Amino acid sequence: MQQAKHKQHPQTATTVPAVPAPVIAVRKSCNPDGIGLSHYVLMDKKAAK
Amino acid sequence: MTVAVSSRGDAAPPFIHMDIGHDVYAAVTDPNTAFWALVDKTRIHEEIAGGSLLDGYRTKADSFARELHALRFELKPSGVYLNPTERCNLNCTYCYLPGEQRSGGSHMPAEILNASLGKLRDYFRSVMPEGRKPRAIFHGAEPLMNKEAVFSAIDAFSDDFVFGLQTNGTLLDDAAMEFLTSRNVSIGLSLDGPFAGITDATRQTWGGKSVHDKVLAAMEKLKGYGSWSVITTCTTENLPYLTRMVELFHASEVPTCMLNTVRCTLPGARGVKPADGDMSKAFFAAMDRTHELYRETGRKLMVANFANILIGILAPTARRLMCDISPCGGGRAFFALAADGGLYPCSEFIGLPRFNGGNLLAAGGVEAALTSAAFQTVTTRDVDTFSPCGDCAIRHFCGSPCPAEAHEMNGGMEKTGAFCEFYKDQVNYALRLIADGKANDYLWDGWDEETETVFNHALN
Repeated sequence: MQQAKHKQHPQTATTVPAVPAPVIAVRKSCNPDGIGLSHYVLMDKKAAK
Repeated sequence: MTVAVSSRGDAAPPFIHMDIGHDVYAAVTDPNTAFWALVDKTRIHEEIAGGSLLDGYRTKADSFARELHALRFELKPSGVYLNPTERCNLNCTYCYLPGEQRSGGSHMPAEILNASLGKLRDYFRSVMPEGRKPRAIFHGAEPLMNKEAVFSAIDAFSDDFVFGLQTNGTLLDDAAMEFLTSRNVSIGLSLDGPFAGITDATRQTWGGKSVHDKVLAAMEKLKGYGSWSVITTCTTENLPYLTRMVELFHASEVPTCMLNTVRCTLPGARGVKPADGDMSKAFFAAMDRTHELYRETGRKLMVANFANILIGILAPTARRLMCDISPCGGGRAFFALAADGGLYPCSEFIGLPRFNGGNLLAAGGVEAALTSAAFQTVTTRDVDTFSPCGDCAIRHFCGSPCPAEAHEMNGGMEKTGAFCEFYKDQVNYALRLIADGKANDYLWDGWDEETETVFNHALN
């Protein structure tokens, strides 16, 4: 098992190994405070025009 | 298909083996912690029986369990859906609000709306960290039917809330557009078809007039704005056209869309409910098309409802929307204010009087509603405690939404929602994307900027 504190995309199209890894298991975590809406409208980006 | 697989030792986690339809990988999950791993199918039994995956997971299982518990049971509300009117100028087939309200209901008076927002501001200040603003989303019926009150409230409380507005788009004239965009209000539109004949099948005025072109005009005006989205409600009427929908949205530079399954809370919606298999086939064809468009143009069209499932797998605490979790966000992460001042766990319940948790402006206000029997019926709905969800490998990636339709359509809170098999298919599709290294193509750039990697296992 490896742990990392830095930002790291688990997968991208350019990082798929030629020989597939036997196991892929990734989990990220953050503080969930301040989120929480239903599927009706997403308010995730800062508005700008 | 799921198969329980025994692991070594008395304290072995209850890994469940899932065939995800991938050539190389199968998945194993510990649903109790929303843990997953993709394992070479030829090595699945030896990997599960013992070794570094199992050992690594054991060191983290308790912290994952605590994290999931906090997400599911310890959040405080941070958002409110505001219904400033009962009226709507459209009569959509699947609306969750009773027709008599939408056709002849009342507006919330401006002074009541302002008093309500004042009380909500005080409540959110009492539960949210300093410096974070709650979300307040004006919502349907059609909020712009009571435009003067809504706009007055947005200006009066601009320092206290981050505002959004979900509208059918038909009343979004140039002045309204200017007002909302100049104040950075998030705007959500609704469009059900790539051309009028399809949209008209489920979304028309009371007099039967098409509104398709008006929504297209609003989309055109919103090009370049940073915070807008379009919802397509997926029904039997538009399912064959979902790929055309995402092509239209991408061409129109829609930054984010939602391809939501129709909510089957009221009987009218159930008449246009697609079968799960049909929904999956059309939905994933549309998702595949968004990826092709991204590869062709370098520009992503986010399908937010699916992105939320994907994020819920990669980073359970980072999910933005709270329908796909149990208990759902209704009545605990957000709640809804009806035009008559009544508080409900979610707008989906506004047509169901038994879920009224009391009046906002009455004594007790929000706190009384949150602890009311009406709210707790929803907030205690826990997929761990009822069948078949309790044995399901993906129950904490899905949450068995929605409690309103489980209650009204399927007969109780301890029933599944309306699209059980579609959710399983979405999780399998998401896991295949992860296996193929494509997951980030379906997510916002920088979606994980505020996360840290707490588990990363890649044996070579």
